Amino acid sequence: MNVSNLSISEISNLYKNKELKPSEVYEEVFTNASLSESIIHAHLKLFQDEATEASKLSDERYEKGNPLSDIDGIPIAIKDNINLKNHETTCSSKMLSNYVSPYDATVIKKLRNNGVIFTGKTNLDEFAMGSSTENSAFGPTKNPWNPEHVPGGSSGGSAAVVSVGSAVASLGSDTGGSIRQPASFCGVVGFKPTYGTVSRYGLVAFASSLDQIGPITNSVEDAKILYNSIKGHDPLDATSIKESLVEIPTDKNAKVGVVKELMEEGISDESRKEVEKTIKLLKENGNKVVEVSLPLTKMALSIYYLIAPAECSANLSRFDGVRYGIREAGSTSYEMMENTRAEGFGEEVKKRILLGTYALSAGYYDAYYGQALKARSAITKDFENIFKEVDYLISPTTPTPAFKFGEKTENPLEMYMSDLCTIPANLAGIPAISIPTGLSKQDMPLSIQLMSPARTDSSLLEFSESIEKLLSFNQRTSLLEDMK
Amino acid sequence: MKKDIDIKSVAKLAAINLTETDEKKFEKDLNIILEHVDALSKMNIEDEEINIHPLGEILNLREDVSSEFLTHDEAMSNSPETEDGHFVVPPSLD
Amino acid sequence: MNMVPTIGIETHVELNTNSKMFCNCAVVETENPNESLCPTCLGLPGALPVPNLKAIESITMLALSANCSITKNGMFHRKNYFYPDLPKNYQISQFDLPVGVNGSLEIILNETKETVEIERVHMEEDTGKSVHKGSGRIDSATSTLLDFNRSGVPLVEIVTKPVIKSSKEAVSYIEELRQLVIDLKISEGKLEKGNLRFDANISVAKESDNELGVKVEIKNMNSLRSLEKAIDYEIKRQTKLIESNEVIIQETRHWDEDKEVTSSMRSKEGSADYRYFSDPDLPNMILTDEFIDNIKKTIPTLPSQKRDKLSETGLSNSESNYLSKSEEWIYNLFLETQKLTNDTKSTFNLITGELQGQLRKAGMEKLPEWLTSEKLSEIIKMINENKISFTSGKEILTNLIQNEMSPSKYAEDNNLIQDNDSDEIAKIVKNVIDSNKEVVERVKDGEEKLVGFLVGQIIKSSKGNINPSIAKDLLLKEL
Repeated sequence: MNVSNLSISEISNLYKNKELKPSEVYEEVFTNASLSESIIHAHLKLFQDEATEASKLSDERYEKGNPLSDIDGIPIAIKDNINLKNHETTCSSKMLSNYVSPYDATVIKKLRNNGVIFTGKTNLDEFAMGSSTENSAFGPTKNPWNPEHVPGGSSGGSAAVVSVGSAVASLGSDTGGSIRQPASFCGVVGFKPTYGTVSRYGLVAFASSLDQIGPITNSVEDAKILYNSIKGHDPLDATSIKESLVEIPTDKNAKVGVVKELMEEGISDESRKEVEKTIKLLKENGNKVVEVSLPLTKMALSIYYLIAPAECSANLSRFDGVRYGIREAGSTSYEMMENTRAEGFGEEVKKRILLGTYALSAGYYDAYYGQALKARSAITKDFENIFKEVDYLISPTTPTPAFKFGEKTENPLEMYMSDLCTIPANLAGIPAISIPTGLSKQDMPLSIQLMSPARTDSSLLEFSESIEKLLSFNQRTSLLEDMK
Repeated sequence: MKKDIDIKSVAKLAAINLTETDEKKFEKDLNIILEHVDALSKMNIEDEEINIHPLGEILNLREDVSSEFLTHDEAMSNSPETEDGHFVVPPSLD
Repeated sequence: MNMVPTIGIETHVELNTNSKMFCNCAVVETENPNESLCPTCLGLPGALPVPNLKAIESITMLALSANCSITKNGMFHRKNYFYPDLPKNYQISQFDLPVGVNGSLEIILNETKETVEIERVHMEEDTGKSVHKGSGRIDSATSTLLDFNRSGVPLVEIVTKPVIKSSKEAVSYIEELRQLVIDLKISEGKLEKGNLRFDANISVAKESDNELGVKVEIKNMNSLRSLEKAIDYEIKRQTKLIESNEVIIQETRHWDEDKEVTSSMRSKEGSADYRYFSDPDLPNMILTDEFIDNIKKTIPTLPSQKRDKLSETGLSNSESNYLSKSEEWIYNLFLETQKLTNDTKSTFNLITGELQGQLRKAGMEKLPEWLTSEKLSEIIKMINENKISFTSGKEILTNLIQNEMSPSKYAEDNNLIQDNDSDEIAKIVKNVIDSNKEVVERVKDGEEKLVGFLVGQIIKSSKGNINPSIAKDLLLKEL
């Protein structure tokens, strides 16, 4: 049986009907991993023994007819910036290359209690800073559709493993598009939930007010299942919100706005055409689609590149060689810290720490960080206003399909531009999803992004499922078949 | 606004030891980014209120209840250097 | 040239919560290092802070008690600096929106009421502890040992305006603040345990100058005694510099307890640009009117209110101040006993003198439950009515501390009742005069100090049952 083509609910039903065992599914995804890893390098660590053990325990539970949940026995990969007890959490950084976490993140606890099989930890741009995984201290991940192309980032590993079938689903984290952009590049679904709906406790912070954990899956339905099992208020995260879900139309009464500014310059024809194709399908379905304008989205990149580095400059201060991680010698403790941080951090991380430190330093705070916070409030209001007119917003997820390695390493802005369409949702804290729609001329995946008001995650997922049906695009990478 | 990044002092604040090559590269990159974000200075947003939580949620406090989390050994397990149950670092100045 | 010193004081008060400020780790008193830790207070990757409600209630209560305005829409900020005992290399603190601003505390300086203005009261977390290993001096340490048990313990920082004028006033202020946090039951308030830690900002200027001088911060004062000495030393040092037209450097100086001098500290490496910014892990903190009103209802009698009550009995300001800083039971015992005796002076003297002294001697921290204000007032009344001598009163008290009994019955059973029958006394007086004729003559010649000798003889003859003042009156009349 080729489980790669099965959804979580299909697998779960087969388990319950005793037609398939978790250990068989795990064996298959592990085989896929062992075959593909040498080419795509998506996992930093495979938990073979532990996962095999876990899958057998899951077998027994189904045997006895008492699985822990609907995702019991589902093999899931975890981005390596999420803490999993007694395993390394490296954040793809030399700094934490030897760090073994003594605790579970809240999302891990939830998944563990649901009987999930953890396949391993996946590669990312160092501390989730980047859009290609080229910033990983342990080497980049390759795009399963074409290894000459990047898988996107920062959750490149998590997107690639789902795409290639070495995990049924994965968790990523999204600060400016780090779930949606790699999902788009790898032809899978990536969902960034409303800020605060999923606990950040145990997610190594990049930019605390923007970070959000979310699922990367083969289908919207899978994303919904995984999201439902990780969401919920967490007393360990003061930014976690108490559930107060809002429902909006998900049928043909749903009104969709096309964000004018995200269809203009900087967006490739190929990306734009996918949105137009989807609009046509929606209209045929009876949905009302109108063009809307969010002029401040043009400022999103600037706002983001002040807020995220400022927060990261403080969030990453704890990596100092004192209590954990690598340590470089120094004659005083400060010198030790300076040398450790020089050695432990890669270039992009240093750049953002320096940028954030500068933006927060005396005399510049008001002009930079203070101004960025106000601009963020303004953009959030713009979104609130536009959502009085439409239920959903549609745009490309990325300006272009996956680019090639080394293509955007000269000017920092070029790489940052690839998050143009995804950043606004992080600033406004609203949910957003990337759905694969088709292939480019070079046979690389293309996608669209849907956004909706804060707390309407369930509606967004439901509406996305119907769009996914309309699109009926379900092509997978042939990497493994080509290898076999 | 004028960009006059004193990269050496920024690096000192950030506790990152930079080589001269690093300094030049970062100074150049930072200037490119700062030039781009300068667009913000032209926005007329004086009166915008600042909410720390993106959804405007307010802080929830927790009850004053204590519980155990890490054992001593777990807390020390990643330490580069220990002595008598302490973490050890090169001398720090007050 | 007249010099005016100006002092501002920053005090850190460690709260007595069960758990730390931003995590559930217990606040512990243990010699074992690194015992009470979690990912949050150890600054592990991925850990997050959640504030302690009790700590916020405590600081609100303190701010209200110190007459501050409460910031209803406040927030936490990150204060960034690299130091190995600060796990995140930023401290969660408050910046421009502290819980309380613009308050004041009443203090008693000698016999005068003074007001110390408070600039701000804010919430923050403590750091870990560093022990510098090597030859003792920080400068020549070979390594630093770190214990993070204290990391994350809730601290309230109280900052005065630069309004304090002397070391005595500074000491009086700290004593007042200490009593306040004890009465509010928000801190143990033990200086020797570091529950209260203070730094002083001191500047000296010529009286003719209308502005403050250069500010020097003094750290490492561990007791009220060192606070007083350090301030006096620093005022003298700066005065000398000004008088000899030398420059005072704005700096932080360290109080050397042994040498009793302040010396310039090697500054922390890096710079003092703390890059404060609102902590994105902690949403805006709203203190509602309801929350504030509920806190107000739980505020007990404050030291200043105690003093007002005490003053009504006729105590002087300094006496009231003394009792307002004594333990709660002494304060209550005084008020109850005074009400029964209606004699402020004797009650104050007996309680703060004899009673406290005897308890201390007996190694007792509290009164035995039978030693009530009624019993105490019985003793005071017997003394005042000359039924017993003061010495007998002391004897009764000594026994009363040990055993439950009736003071008047004890006095009777032990022949302590003074014989105040004048006829009987007159007889004794006459006998004493008769048998000390030589002395009597000398008294008549003007050697008045010998009166005491004769009174002593009378008391001796009566076996101590005569009130000395009555004996003296009668003696003088006879002579």
